[in-house]
Amino acid sequence: MAITEKELKTLAKLSRLEFSEEELAGFKSGFEEMIEFCDGINSEIGGDTSSIREVGSMQTEWKDLREDVVEESLPNEKILSNVHGERGYFAVKRVVK
Amino acid sequence: MKYRIVSGFETHVELATATKIFCGCSTKFGAMPNTHCCPVCTGQPGSLPVLNKRVVEFAIRAGLATHCTINTTTHLDRKNYCYPDLPKAYQISQFDKPLCENGYVELDSGKKIRLTRIHIEEDAGKLVHERGYTYIDYNRGGVALIEIVSEPDISSPEEAREYVEKLQLIMRYIGVSDCKMQEGSMRCDVNISLTPEGSDKLGTRTEIKNMNSVSFIEKAMAYEARRQAEILDGGGEVEQATLRYDENTGETYVMRTKEDAQDYRYFPEPDLPAIIIPQSKIDETAAHMPELPIDKYRRYTGVLGLSAQTAGLLYKYKAVCDFFEKCLSLGAGAKNTANLITGTIYSSLSTEEEKEEFNAGVSAEDMAKLVRYADEGKINVTLAQMTLSKMLKEGGCVDDYITEQDLAGVSDDELEALCRKAVEENPAAAADFRGGKQKAIGSFYGYIKRASGGKADIKRADAILRKILSE
Ligand SMILES: [Zn+2]
Repeated sequence: MAITEKELKTLAKLSRLEFSEEELAGFKSGFEEMIEFCDGINSEIGGDTSSIREVGSMQTEWKDLREDVVEESLPNEKILSNVHGERGYFAVKRVVK
Repeated sequence: MKYRIVSGFETHVELATATKIFCGCSTKFGAMPNTHCCPVCTGQPGSLPVLNKRVVEFAIRAGLATHCTINTTTHLDRKNYCYPDLPKAYQISQFDKPLCENGYVELDSGKKIRLTRIHIEEDAGKLVHERGYTYIDYNRGGVALIEIVSEPDISSPEEAREYVEKLQLIMRYIGVSDCKMQEGSMRCDVNISLTPEGSDKLGTRTEIKNMNSVSFIEKAMAYEARRQAEILDGGGEVEQATLRYDENTGETYVMRTKEDAQDYRYFPEPDLPAIIIPQSKIDETAAHMPELPIDKYRRYTGVLGLSAQTAGLLYKYKAVCDFFEKCLSLGAGAKNTANLITGTIYSSLSTEEEKEEFNAGVSAEDMAKLVRYADEGKINVTLAQMTLSKMLKEGGCVDDYITEQDLAGVSDDELEALCRKAVEENPAAAADFRGGKQKAIGSFYGYIKRASGGKADIKRADAILRKILSE
């Protein structure tokens, strides 16, 4: 499946990454290869996954869920140790006008 | 042209669990910023979420109370968006396999507002914008929510109000949330479009985000319907958009249009395996379901024999019902208890919030004792009301106010003396009655009530008065 320049730009924007036109153009074939690979899986099974068994270990039994018991949180200083904090808050550049 | 409102609601309800949905941090409201946080709820690399069992239990309860089907296998999904209120840059939610589906909420008219789904998800953090900064508090981040999505079955602001209030009441009855809109534990996104009367063609819809008051919802819907009608009448087209309602101006404003609609790129959450819910768990929850508002209302008007009006005044407040039923369990009669609550106690509570919290100001034991005196005819209703008012104002218990003498009531001789006095002091009314004006007899009641300190039985007094006046 072909991927358009517009789709690449959308992807870059959603990923919050900036690329030059040349860089973007360079991604085209790479993405197409990946999509072709997935298309291959789809055509192999005809898009019908009903015969594919779910992986058993990827299920949570009721008893494995967490009990609703409060555990200690981290101290505020620790939470803010790697960021710019002010008065106990995380502080970032204003996001609304 | 005349239009029909077509509206659907997405309602977020914060669950009353002790811990967050994926970590053991406390959900307690009002803590210092970022003190209920850990690596999981601040999205630190390498941390892993573990789903809170009670969140699933509460959501199942909510689903059953709204007649939903509960899916026995369900999973969580990632909803990707980049904004500082989400430390992971995604919200763990549910996309294609919600926990509950296909339910409804019934309005008083019998109309059913269908529910598409109820799913579980995590709340975002709180942002405060000040000067050049945005300040973030992640205490609320990761608190468990259910999102209740309705079909576009709501066709007026009044129906919207009733729908939200019914939902609120149900959630409170089953104990999964306090649904305090003013504290943000219940918030609504309102979708609204107009369809020309008589047509089935759906109009373009707009969405008003984050409404947190029932009366603002009503006002915002009315405003938005009017705005859309004006556009359509002028031959224009409604633009699909997300709106914000300004409570001060009473108008809606565009936050974003379809062009910059979000692309959430949902995919199954790889950090959380699918959940298998045993049917026995669902059956057990259904078997232990608390009484629902509609059933309580029917019981009050049915077996307990309360009027529709009185039952309506009681059942809207869960805490009031609890108090009422406690009094009944202590032997108090339903009618007298209900009337004293809705009359005397309610008049000391001015706001809706006060009724919701319901601090009766008197113990159920004392209340029951007082009501029993009235039930047994030892004191009359007026005295019961007066005593209760005094207790509410000045405290103390029933026996501080009701004396042996009160319980003895007014003797026949005393009552006759009172009646004679009443007639003597009000000769004009006596003349009127004798002249054929039956109603004039009412003029004496007030005097007798006052003079006996509320103890006199007016029915008995009436008979005595008639005897005296015909002498
Ligand atoms: Zn946490």
